[in-house]
Amino acid sequence: MVEVRKTIAITWLNYDVIVVGSGGAGAHAAHAAASLGSQVLVVSKDPIGASDTKISEGIATVRASGAVDDSETELSTNLQMAGGDLPLRSITNAFAADSEHAYDLYRVNGLRPSIDTERNKPLSLPLPLGGHTKRRSVGHENCGVAFSHANWQIILQGQNITYIEDAWFLDLAVRKSPNKNEHGHSINEVVGGLIYHAANGELLAVRASAIVLAAGGVSTLYFPKTDTMRGNTGDSYAIAARAGAELVDMEQLQFLPFCLASPPSYEGLLAGEPVTASFLGVLRDKSGKVILDGVYLRTRAECSAAIMRAVEKGDGTENNGAFLDMTANKKAPLSGAYFEKFLATCLPSAYQNVRQALSKKAGRCEEPWEVRPAAHYMMGGIRVDADGASVGGPNGDGVRTKGIKGLFAAGQSMGGLFGANRLGSTSLTEGAVFGARAGRAAAAYSRNSDTTQNVDLIFKPLIATHSQFFGQNGTLSATAIRLALQEESWNKIGPVRTARRLQEMETNLKKWRAKLYKIKTSSSTTWNQSFIDLQELRNMLDAAGLILASAYERTDSLGGHVRLDGKQISSFATPYSVIVRSISDGTYVARRVIRPRTALKKIISYKIQEQKRLLMARWIRLLPKGIQDKILLKRYQAIMGEDLKAQETFPGAPEAAIGELTKP
Amino acid sequence: MTNNKKSIRVEIDTYRDGEKTIIEYVFEKRELGERPMALDVLLQAQAKKIPDLAFRFGCRARNCGVCTIDINGRPRIACRTRVREGDRLSPIATLPILSDLVVRRDGIARQLRNRLPTNSQANELNVEAPEEYHQLTKCIECYACLDNCPMHARNFTRGKPTDTTKPPSDTQQGYRWGNPFTLLKLQRVRMDPLTTTTVRESAVDTAIMLGLESCIKCPGCKCGVGINLKGVVIKPLLEAANNSGRIPPE
Repeated sequence: MVEVRKTIAITWLNYDVIVVGSGGAGAHAAHAAASLGSQVLVVSKDPIGASDTKISEGIATVRASGAVDDSETELSTNLQMAGGDLPLRSITNAFAADSEHAYDLYRVNGLRPSIDTERNKPLSLPLPLGGHTKRRSVGHENCGVAFSHANWQIILQGQNITYIEDAWFLDLAVRKSPNKNEHGHSINEVVGGLIYHAANGELLAVRASAIVLAAGGVSTLYFPKTDTMRGNTGDSYAIAARAGAELVDMEQLQFLPFCLASPPSYEGLLAGEPVTASFLGVLRDKSGKVILDGVYLRTRAECSAAIMRAVEKGDGTENNGAFLDMTANKKAPLSGAYFEKFLATCLPSAYQNVRQALSKKAGRCEEPWEVRPAAHYMMGGIRVDADGASVGGPNGDGVRTKGIKGLFAAGQSMGGLFGANRLGSTSLTEGAVFGARAGRAAAAYSRNSDTTQNVDLIFKPLIATHSQFFGQNGTLSATAIRLALQEESWNKIGPVRTARRLQEMETNLKKWRAKLYKIKTSSSTTWNQSFIDLQELRNMLDAAGLILASAYERTDSLGGHVRLDGKQISSFATPYSVIVRSISDGTYVARRVIRPRTALKKIISYKIQEQKRLLMARWIRLLPKGIQDKILLKRYQAIMGEDLKAQETFPGAPEAAIGELTKP
Repeated sequence: MTNNKKSIRVEIDTYRDGEKTIIEYVFEKRELGERPMALDVLLQAQAKKIPDLAFRFGCRARNCGVCTIDINGRPRIACRTRVREGDRLSPIATLPILSDLVVRRDGIARQLRNRLPTNSQANELNVEAPEEYHQLTKCIECYACLDNCPMHARNFTRGKPTDTTKPPSDTQQGYRWGNPFTLLKLQRVRMDPLTTTTVRESAVDTAIMLGLESCIKCPGCKCGVGINLKGVVIKPLLEAANNSGRIPPE
């Protein structure tokens, strides 16, 4: 029987700059490029603005909002130290320099924070968030939703901006430039991209000399063990890698330690942060043994690792997690009431999840919560310079002539800012800072390049490949393969890894990749879900391959990358990043580049501080209950004030930084 | 008791190439006494029975606003609405269907394109917004408010989309007539302390142009996340229009 295939219509368009994604990074990139006169096309697979920015806690880093002496150097150093010296100095410096004002575009478009009238600045939370040495995190009413109203405004009302939603950016069109770089190698350059406009049922072949990838992360690879948007199918990484771009730190995925393990409807959603545990909270395994104390002072990575190591030993709870036990906080006769207030106000949406999902007793902290890590943020990404331009080459910073000319990345799509650990409140600012930088750089590049002439031939193979995915004959479904991939990703390239599991994953990835061409798809052109599923699966497979190759290369543990068969990489060891790229369909190669280390003196002083704080936490926990309660009462009152009634706050407010000993 | 049963039977309306098929799906509970959300049912149906079932979802926590469907004919946010035996899941009836439970949302936002001026950067930004302003930015854009809206209904004949695949108007222009969501966006601009008087007035003009007079006799709209739309959006806009004499008082 011969099946008659419908052919899908192809529309040719011209733009100066294409921006893929409509969250914080995409909106800021589009605005920046359009302001410089570029004709910009924003492409979004989800409705405009329905991004991780929209569902975030809505706390943004605004340098100098809380302290006059908050220098660029200090913020840049905070990011460096937290990231284990993996971040690029040029990139953390750019973040520090722009983070005072980049956020103002949100405000021009309607984001209204509370104002510190004395300082005439957005009001920052009274205490620094963990890892920041200054107050500089600004919280907002209605959390990320308030930010998304501004992103919506930027894109919808933008001059020179055209937007389409329900449209999947499939692949970059890249050609070997007639020009050579200084080493005599040919340069790859962007000439446009192919888009599936699902709502209109057509393919758009768009000629453009610059493309900004701002299409988010890859957490959906671990679904349902994630708290982020469904659309995070690694599109940016896969699209860039298929075009030959280099990526960096792809083994560094941030897992939030305290997410819900049950009931199924709530699986993966946030229950709390390390700070939620407050002074007396500990992690326990299934038999009640303490597996981590001083929880409120720990990083997300430390808590996740502790839970997953217990699970590995067979000491995990029913749903393969651990117990976050905060009952001692609650039981204290004097300070217990303060803890309760703190718990309810520091992360209201997380606490809301807990109260809906777990028992009433758990909601009141009279019994421990079962928690498990969940995928949250890709700290690695496309290898770029401080203007978001794709770079490559053997040295640490890379050069544009060895990257893909005309390719830019911003937000979660880019790497090099956070390295091995991301500080709280930085991601919203990352989107604004590097969205704007990439947008400006893309506009400047596109003005001076003429790569849209005679390029239609470059699109031909792309159009042929993707047209074949409509009405493909086969017996398999992308959904079934995706479900298997998601389960195995958690087990093999998730919060804990071993060489053996990585090998097994490699075999699996090969097997699934071979099946891509045996998936049955419909020949419908309008909203063809089986085509969309296949495309997203293809991206997830590529992203998994990039994570896998990077995780192989880093044989020991660092930050978000935990190798059960390796040791912990010391802060004093020579830091390196892993660079990865795809050399052919489904084959990825990784190598290391050395990073400069923070001065030893700084690291040692930081380590001593950290140990002091942990000892203090342990000491308080071992004191006789009466004395302990009195000390804690004073501490809570110092941060929250004595009058409990006055403490109606919003996400991340004063109490969210309860772990810090810094005075406001 | 439904709760002691091991499964829940629902009906899912699916649409492919303009044809409607009602599929019965039996949700298998994953743990004792599970009370699944509509989204759980759709995810399981996709995993076990209809691999290419088309539906939108995002955050699973009632924040992103994209998973709205009709349950027994009323708009509900799928990730936070529990289903019961015999429930009927279908695409929201107020927008054109693209496939299965996916509707074309674009015509709503697009009608405000270039009609909501952005304040210039030269303004002093360090100004607090009133509490009513923050009421408005609670909106997650779930479009549940389109249900029973007489203004939005004017875009269609007999209360249903005239064409099930495309908005009746040019897709680049968005709908001719407004709805509570677009009025909320206009009212947000009016409530913003940084908005100039001229822009504030033009927001009222836009509301009138989008058909604000439909609100005069309407009993009111219902918000998916509990914003008092009548109180904080419709009433102030109607008052402003009355005061300027462009719409007759109620």
